Amino acid sequence: MTRSVAVALAVARKDLTSEWRTRELVPALGQFIVLALVIANFAFDIDSQNASAIAPGVLWLALVFAGLVAFGRAFAAEREQASLEAMLLTPASPTAIFAGKALAAALLLIACEAVLLPALALLFGTPLNAGLVLAVLLATVGMAALGCLFAAMVARVRAREVLLPLLTLPLWIPFIVVGGQAVQVAMGATGNYNQAVALLIDFDILFVVLTSLAARFVLDD
Amino acid sequence: MSTIVADQITQRFGSELALDAVDLALDKGEHLAVLGDNGAGKTTLLRILATASRPTSGRLELFGIDGLRERPRLRALIGFVGHAPGLYPALSAAENLEFFCSLQGIGRARVSEVLELVGVAGVARRAAGRLSRGEQQRLAIGRAILHDPQLLVLDEPDASLDSGAADLLARVMKGRSAVLATHDHALANRLCQRTMVLRNGRSLGAGTRLRVVR
Repeated sequence: MTRSVAVALAVARKDLTSEWRTRELVPALGQFIVLALVIANFAFDIDSQNASAIAPGVLWLALVFAGLVAFGRAFAAEREQASLEAMLLTPASPTAIFAGKALAAALLLIACEAVLLPALALLFGTPLNAGLVLAVLLATVGMAALGCLFAAMVARVRAREVLLPLLTLPLWIPFIVVGGQAVQVAMGATGNYNQAVALLIDFDILFVVLTSLAARFVLDD
Repeated sequence: MSTIVADQITQRFGSELALDAVDLALDKGEHLAVLGDNGAGKTTLLRILATASRPTSGRLELFGIDGLRERPRLRALIGFVGHAPGLYPALSAAENLEFFCSLQGIGRARVSEVLELVGVAGVARRAAGRLSRGEQQRLAIGRAILHDPQLLVLDEPDASLDSGAADLLARVMKGRSAVLATHDHALANRLCQRTMVLRNGRSLGAGTRLRVVR
């Protein structure tokens, strides 16, 4: 167990160090997010009455597409460098390697969320509070687990850019629906925030366990 | 106990037969060269021996352990150098090896020793992406011996290496069993006691280097 945690942390640290030095992903995703918000701001006729109804939808759209790019790159880069095989030919558990990749991808997406949430508050005038941040973070955990699993699955396929959204988006729907509900309440709409957050935690546990079990078979050819 | 016993190893990719019932045995400490033209099946065979892929049929025993079912257990005993170096370009040469130390569960003290052994100690702090192709190949060889494996599987490791390739390979193969795929017959003769020739996925037989040369 300790060894698996050490492997997962080493893999995550390696991915984050590579991203820090190359700055390939996060700046591009940050720009994409800001552009998406600016376009949405012009496309919708936003006022103080409808902002809290429109903003959650815009948030999830930006988050979903940024997530697809972030998780897709997690394994595509390994395949391009032919380094995934080198990792898998060590005694390290494929599940630990997968966990490390998912952790790094989730942290990169959280870095993008650090741009997304303040920008949303600025452009749409929505509140930025702990409830909103918690709901988005909880959704990120499960989305990262699922996104990375499918990214690993399609990494060796030529049409991976098409396949990844086709496989991932249907399974992200629970996070978008429940997370969307929690975000709406956090932005001032009526509803049961605690119930939505509890459901997000349940989904996180379910999908983290399922993807961890499946990762071994997906990664170990 | 033999290091490798491969029995009727067959690999199909769709309708294409890449390996056709290849038999192979390798004793402890023995070095075997696998020769053959491009597309003969050398890489396919070596990937199976390194537990990187599974054959369509056949039996593989490595160190007396089932090489098809117990692959994770065997990986601590095998070092593999494939066609691509498989390094992380943003990490330095030393960081690449330190990362693989973490995956192998071994201490980082081994890194400087290995960098020295493969002749890249002078560029240890340089990003792997900025190393020459030959230096990257040396680093990949270093990664393969990082955990002191008992079996080395080397797929054309001399590609892109300079004239010191033979000496380097002799150093890393010393004291280990090794299977080496190469197009260089002189290198095979120098480093290996036995040679196996593949053509169109079939073994044309194995013999001592003298028999093959004749």
